[in-house]
Amino acid sequence: MTAHTSLRGRHVLAVLASVAAIAAATATFALSGGSPGRAFPALVPAAAPAGWPHLTLPDGTAVLSYPPSLRPVSGDADSVSAAQVSPKGVFRLYLNATPRQGDEQLRGWAAFRLRLLTADDAASAHELAAAQDVAFRGGTGSCVIDTYVTRIGAHHYQEIACLVQGRTSASVIVAAAPAATWAQASPLLLRAVAAYQIR
Amino acid sequence: MSLTFIRSAAGAALLAVLAAGCGTAATAQHAATKPAAAAQPRHSAPAHAPVTTPTPPPATTAPAPATKAPASSANPIPQGNGGDQDPDNNGGPSDGDGNI
Repeated sequence: MTAHTSLRGRHVLAVLASVAAIAAATATFALSGGSPGRAFPALVPAAAPAGWPHLTLPDGTAVLSYPPSLRPVSGDADSVSAAQVSPKGVFRLYLNATPRQGDEQLRGWAAFRLRLLTADDAASAHELAAAQDVAFRGGTGSCVIDTYVTRIGAHHYQEIACLVQGRTSASVIVAAAPAATWAQASPLLLRAVAAYQIR
Repeated sequence: MSLTFIRSAAGAALLAVLAAGCGTAATAQHAATKPAAAAQPRHSAPAHAPVTTPTPPPATTAPAPATKAPASSANPIPQGNGGDQDPDNNGGPSDGDGNI
């Protein structure tokens, strides 16, 4: 009887230990947030489709092409922006190009961008994918795809932001859309990013 | 191996399972709250939210001792139509500036 009880006890312990190990492993993975290592979409530099308007940076160092469904919008004096905005003022598509202004570097660009987002206007920001040595028309860049929530309005956006180094200049191109519509918006936005030309 | 020990070990294992389960649930809850923020009405995107700034002390008062900068000083560009008045300072998408 004692031997039977001892055997049954060990069996129960073994089962419980297995369950605990599985649960702990699951919890650890969940708490780590999983891997952000999504595949970065292919960016093949190509001229913008015919009919796409262009905006040249005020310093003349890069050209942003944008779909005809977007319109130029105001921004920093040294940058150019185009957006599709709903009648109620909701940004549906957003493109921006800005000359490098600070300590942006190709190496570590993704971390820099996330830090800048949370230091500037985002309550939170999370990297989804990143890539280096991305070919651009006239240069090479580092890109990050991330999602963030704005401090004002708690708007949830997803973006691709690339620091592009040309022969004589460097600049940043940003393409964003509400996170909820990113899947639909991203092909057009990525097309605009692929058409970005730097000098 | 005594029955008491077995019960104690089983209890400890159960606690581990419960603790792990709580961690997973907390993470799931955290993730589930994100879409809620995103689901907020977006029509207020361009709204110029009021910015509350601390009222400066009267000029007649003695100089106040050095105080720590408010937490919001980590944000170099004021939000709520402040600073450069970019869309991203009003709830719009962030531009590519270097925060200069």
